[in-house]
Amino acid sequence: MRGSSTMTRRRMLETLGVIGAAAASGALTAPARARAQQLGLNESVDDAMKRVFGRRPIKDGASLIKLDLPLIAENGAVVPVSVRVDSPMTPTSYVKHIYIVADKNRIPVVTRVTLTPAAGQAFMGVNIRLGDTGDVRAIVEQSDGTLWQVAREVKVTVGGCGG
Amino acid sequence: MRSVRRRLALPAIALSVLAVGCAVTERAMPEDADTPRWTSRAIPEARGDFRVLPDGRRAAIRYKGWTPADFGAFRTYAYDDARPEPAVLGATIPAGLSGDATKGRVLFLDRAKGPCTGCHLVPGDDVWPAGSVGPDLSTIGDRRLPDPYLYQLLWDPRVVYPNTAMPPWGATGVLTPEELVHLVAYLQTLRAPLPPERDADRNPFTRKTPVGFGDGLDPTNNPAVLLAEDAQAQWEEKGPAGRACADCHPGGAERAMRGVATRYPKHLKAYGRVMSLEDFLEAHGPETTGRPYAAESADNLTMTMLVKMASNGLPVTLDTASPEARAAIARGRATFAKRVGQRNHSCADCHTRDGGAGKFLGGRLLADARDGLTRHLPTWRTSQGEVWDLRKRVQWCMTPLGTNMLAADAVEYAELELYLTTFDDGKPLRVPGIRH
Amino acid sequence: MSDLGKVRIRVPSSIKPGDVVQVRTLVIHPMERIERDAQGKIIPKTYNYITRVVVTYLGKTVVAFDTTQSVSENPFFSFAFRATDPGPLSVEFHDTTGGRYEGKVDITFA
Repeated sequence: MRGSSTMTRRRMLETLGVIGAAAASGALTAPARARAQQLGLNESVDDAMKRVFGRRPIKDGASLIKLDLPLIAENGAVVPVSVRVDSPMTPTSYVKHIYIVADKNRIPVVTRVTLTPAAGQAFMGVNIRLGDTGDVRAIVEQSDGTLWQVAREVKVTVGGCGG
Repeated sequence: MRSVRRRLALPAIALSVLAVGCAVTERAMPEDADTPRWTSRAIPEARGDFRVLPDGRRAAIRYKGWTPADFGAFRTYAYDDARPEPAVLGATIPAGLSGDATKGRVLFLDRAKGPCTGCHLVPGDDVWPAGSVGPDLSTIGDRRLPDPYLYQLLWDPRVVYPNTAMPPWGATGVLTPEELVHLVAYLQTLRAPLPPERDADRNPFTRKTPVGFGDGLDPTNNPAVLLAEDAQAQWEEKGPAGRACADCHPGGAERAMRGVATRYPKHLKAYGRVMSLEDFLEAHGPETTGRPYAAESADNLTMTMLVKMASNGLPVTLDTASPEARAAIARGRATFAKRVGQRNHSCADCHTRDGGAGKFLGGRLLADARDGLTRHLPTWRTSQGEVWDLRKRVQWCMTPLGTNMLAADAVEYAELELYLTTFDDGKPLRVPGIRH
Repeated sequence: MSDLGKVRIRVPSSIKPGDVVQVRTLVIHPMERIERDAQGKIIPKTYNYITRVVVTYLGKTVVAFDTTQSVSENPFFSFAFRATDPGPLSVEFHDTTGGRYEGKVDITFA
């Protein structure tokens, strides 16, 4: 598709960054792209969690976070996920980020949502890919930096005869 | 009428030669057959054609990613394919073979083989997703059935159960005698007590039913709604013949086509056959605007959706009474019940309550044809990322079952679709759907 | 692929000032997945997928999604915003090839 025939050096580096084959991606200049590239790496979920959240403690968010997804996905190509956080959305206290992480995916980090108080409600939804049966996590970062997490297993099914 | 048909067929033949080069058309209906004939104008990969390889073998021309395997040894839905079902034969375990239960278990779960787990539950956390079409085999070893009896059941179960939906695995060569012996050894090891079930969803008899993919008519949920808009633009655009759809059907597609789709599939005298809406567009387009609308082309699918969407909410009102319709419905019903292919399956095996309907085939809950399966088609398929009509669904269904598909615009499929649509008669259209 | 970049946005039909409104949006996009060769090695190329979705209301960013190839083809997103004043709500999608696709709705009060 567009641009595929003219791969620039920068694009090449970005691609390598995606696949984790080069550490050079940190040198990228375009901020939005570089940030996104770093978000999605081909890595284990443990590496992804360490990379994104470091050693920061993550609390059990069961009482705070409503993670809605099908417990059985008819296929892994389209799995609807939504998250609602029971939290104020005021300028002094609000949900700053909602992360979706799929443990078994080759690229575990699915999305990072950045919210502002103008959202009025800490809510997001997205259709995600799931490579295999496994946990899907929602991690919530509040404006004071506190992290909360919930996880639910989604089982990915296939047909009986290829259909 | 006959001359009309001839005139239509000629350019299509020329096109087919151009498009697929060395393709050979699988069959030619005799001139005097009492069933209608049709030369496919579908896109090349939807015609059920073959190309001949340098070594003389045939490779099927199918959609991208589909197997090119030729299942020509097994009968198809073609009306002129009068071959009988594979003969029912007894079988005995060949001398010198000894079963290995471990190998048998691997075979039982192998998705490239049966998979046996598509229909049968066995123990193990790695058994996912098992189906419930066939009996739960978790403790079949306790029945102390003799090895030769189990071997026979796997080789060709029709010897014991004449109407079974289980394929004759050995008789039609899906599994070798050695593989069957390993499977028998594995089945004999399945004994009580079973480990406690840690997960109710592993068991297809207690598994939750799938929740589906939401509202098909919501343009922020179903990409097919957005794709159908391409046809909206084409409706107003003049085709190669200098005319647009709108020139003869004024007032916009939504108004001009209101109610039209509710009457399809139907018998059209001008073409001497039953046509689905897709079939009709393929004939009508070239005659009017000059656009081809080949079966399974994007243009055909999007225009079909546009025309059907104009009837959303209106009940299906089929002609089921005319002599042509009644004969076609009878043929469609016979197709539904006809066992075809290497696995010797019929539609009815999976899609009636006597068969698999309401049960899991692997992870899929099988639908009952009598509940109506047609009102949402063409549908978006989330697993494929594509719009599919009923014909492609049937072509796809048959391929892993070891049956050579027919052309998407074959009369056989149109009459099967007509039969299936009779179960939707009186119920409202709702196009496009969204499915797995 | 003439449909690439088509955007649809759905807001509730009736909105009152001050309402927190949930919005649904979809864009036609391949969200190309990583491909591997016969040896299982990743084929290096520019995979075309959306990396950022920005929701703007009355000229200010309200919500943004950073996204990876683990998001589905033809991705769907939903989010909320507080409808304080009449005005435009836009959703802009950016992909790895420099593609930028925008959908817009006018927020009006019943």
